[in-house]
Amino acid sequence: MRRTSIAIGAAALALSACVQTKQYADVQFTPPAGDYKLLVMRPDVTVGSVTAGGMVERRADWTETARANLLAALKAQQAGRGGNALILEKRDGLPGVDAETIAELERLHYAVGSSIALHKYSGRYLPTKRGKGLDWTLGEDAVALGRKSGMDYALFLYAEDSFASSGRVALQVLGIAGCAVGFCAPNIGGGGQFAYASLVDLRTGEVVWFNVLQTGSQIAGIKMGDIRTADGAATMVERLLGRMKPGKDIRRQMKARP
Amino acid sequence: MCIRCELSRRSLLVGGGAAAAALATGVAAARIPPNSMVPLIGPGYRPTDRDELGMWAQMVRVEEEISGSNLLFKDPALNLYLQRLIGKVGGPAAQDMRIYVARIPEFNAVMFPTGFTVIFSGLLLRMRNEAQLAGVIAHESGHFLRKHQIRQWRDMRTKTDVLAVLAMGAGVAGGAAGVYTGDLARLAELGTILSLLKYNRTLEAEADAMGLKLIAEAGLRPMAMSETWDQLIGELDESARYRRKKRERRINLFETHPSPDSRRKELKISAAEVTVPGKLYDDGRARYLEAIAPIRQMLLDDQVKLNDPGASQYIVNTLAIDGWNGLLRFHEAEIWRLRNRAGDDARAALGYAAAVGYPDAPPDAWRWHGVMLQKAGRIPEARAAYARYLQMAPNAPDAPFIRQLLQ
Repeated sequence: MRRTSIAIGAAALALSACVQTKQYADVQFTPPAGDYKLLVMRPDVTVGSVTAGGMVERRADWTETARANLLAALKAQQAGRGGNALILEKRDGLPGVDAETIAELERLHYAVGSSIALHKYSGRYLPTKRGKGLDWTLGEDAVALGRKSGMDYALFLYAEDSFASSGRVALQVLGIAGCAVGFCAPNIGGGGQFAYASLVDLRTGEVVWFNVLQTGSQIAGIKMGDIRTADGAATMVERLLGRMKPGKDIRRQMKARP
Repeated sequence: MCIRCELSRRSLLVGGGAAAAALATGVAAARIPPNSMVPLIGPGYRPTDRDELGMWAQMVRVEEEISGSNLLFKDPALNLYLQRLIGKVGGPAAQDMRIYVARIPEFNAVMFPTGFTVIFSGLLLRMRNEAQLAGVIAHESGHFLRKHQIRQWRDMRTKTDVLAVLAMGAGVAGGAAGVYTGDLARLAELGTILSLLKYNRTLEAEADAMGLKLIAEAGLRPMAMSETWDQLIGELDESARYRRKKRERRINLFETHPSPDSRRKELKISAAEVTVPGKLYDDGRARYLEAIAPIRQMLLDDQVKLNDPGASQYIVNTLAIDGWNGLLRFHEAEIWRLRNRAGDDARAALGYAAAVGYPDAPPDAWRWHGVMLQKAGRIPEARAAYARYLQMAPNAPDAPFIRQLLQ
């Protein structure tokens, strides 16, 4: 009995850290390249600390640092692709567009994004959307914003990161030590990243690309990147936006060509 | 931190085994005397502690979203009235707090950690005077002044920390001794939840006491607060009775808030305690009615459409204690018409007829009066009622239709 739990513990240790991304694209999607204009909609960033009891306590200072790092990394990454990213910090930050319009679009995207999360990521697949890649749109409102602002794409970005507090790490140590006596809790978890990005083509209004990133270790104290540092932020941006794949039809065309 | 939240207790109580844990936590909490309540913050309060700074930072977007919500009443006069009222009963933070009214036909109000509060329109409907409304607002101010949100967070953090360490420690110790401790850990978890809820109830009682002190200091009648609970209890009873049920008397142990009955009782005792003999207290009824006049019909409409005739009728009757008028009579008739039991059409017809006898009867009262007369075959009277309706609401959506009827 004791031996099996130790074996399970060891297996859990080996499997317990991971980075996952899963992206979907419109079948006709070609990743933006060349001289394009990207509007980044008020990125939502949260960084917190995981208490021993497992609750996440938000840290204002960490959040500020992480936010600045992420935005800098995002600008650099987009410039690398030839794009020009304008980061919207406030709802009224876009000349010629009033705050209410931006707010409405954010709320609309929240609803559409939740629907994508439900039907693409949570297993509630829709038979009508089968084989259609990503088939969601923000409609005319998004097109109108594109026309008014002269932007080609809008990017909605959400990122959260949390770190195990010393109390949580101590608890983890106790959980692993317990394996020796047959009470094994090697993966209480603690800390990890969750982020998503949603790209909207402002010429058609469609959500053309969506990606979710999840990193975490089931062992408190092991970090899989840290967006409070410039390197960690660049890693997250790269993991989230760096490997944009074209849509199914485009991939097929590319394959057909020799 | 709302005046009567319905948190999902079911989700909290996955474990079961309540009886055993009840012994550990105890049930009744003693009444908190209002005069023992002092604000823990001063004017212009800003957090300095790390956890509270984090909590405040998180609220920035929440307030931005709420303040821009299209559920809010934008009417400047009403908002100014409420802002002034919170200024009156907000203690040292009077000038710092923000107040928003949302069009949600429920009896509730919520205070957020950074000092903004959201009042539900259903609350404005039910209040008979300014003193009652001020009591609720002062209760919410009490949460902010007594730093309840951060205190609750810290309580929860400490207790979950202790639980996690204990559970892990017990597991390791049990493992070493060869005993499975899972069930014990589960029981401890329940004990933690119960003690969290108990802390929450204490904070609610604190907010009641603090609120009472604030309205008494502002010269508003202290007993108004317990009258609010009289009304709420009466309404819940009526609503249940209509559905042939009894008002839910939940087991106090599992509640985030003290039971309405115990709050009413304690508020009564405390109100007597803070009342200064010889001092004149105001109800502010005229001020209140003037402030909500532009939206009162909408408030009543929203309630009537909830399809809860027992509660709606109770509310209309309670408001009518201060005198019937055309608006109340009209909505009384609406409740009957929509209830549609045997004999309700005749009751509704009488109600509309009574409503149009008042100078403040809304145009719709005349319209429905006309419909009822027409159904009864009293055509000339029906025509007169329709004509009156068209005169009052010439641009109503159905005006062309009614005009057609009259030709």
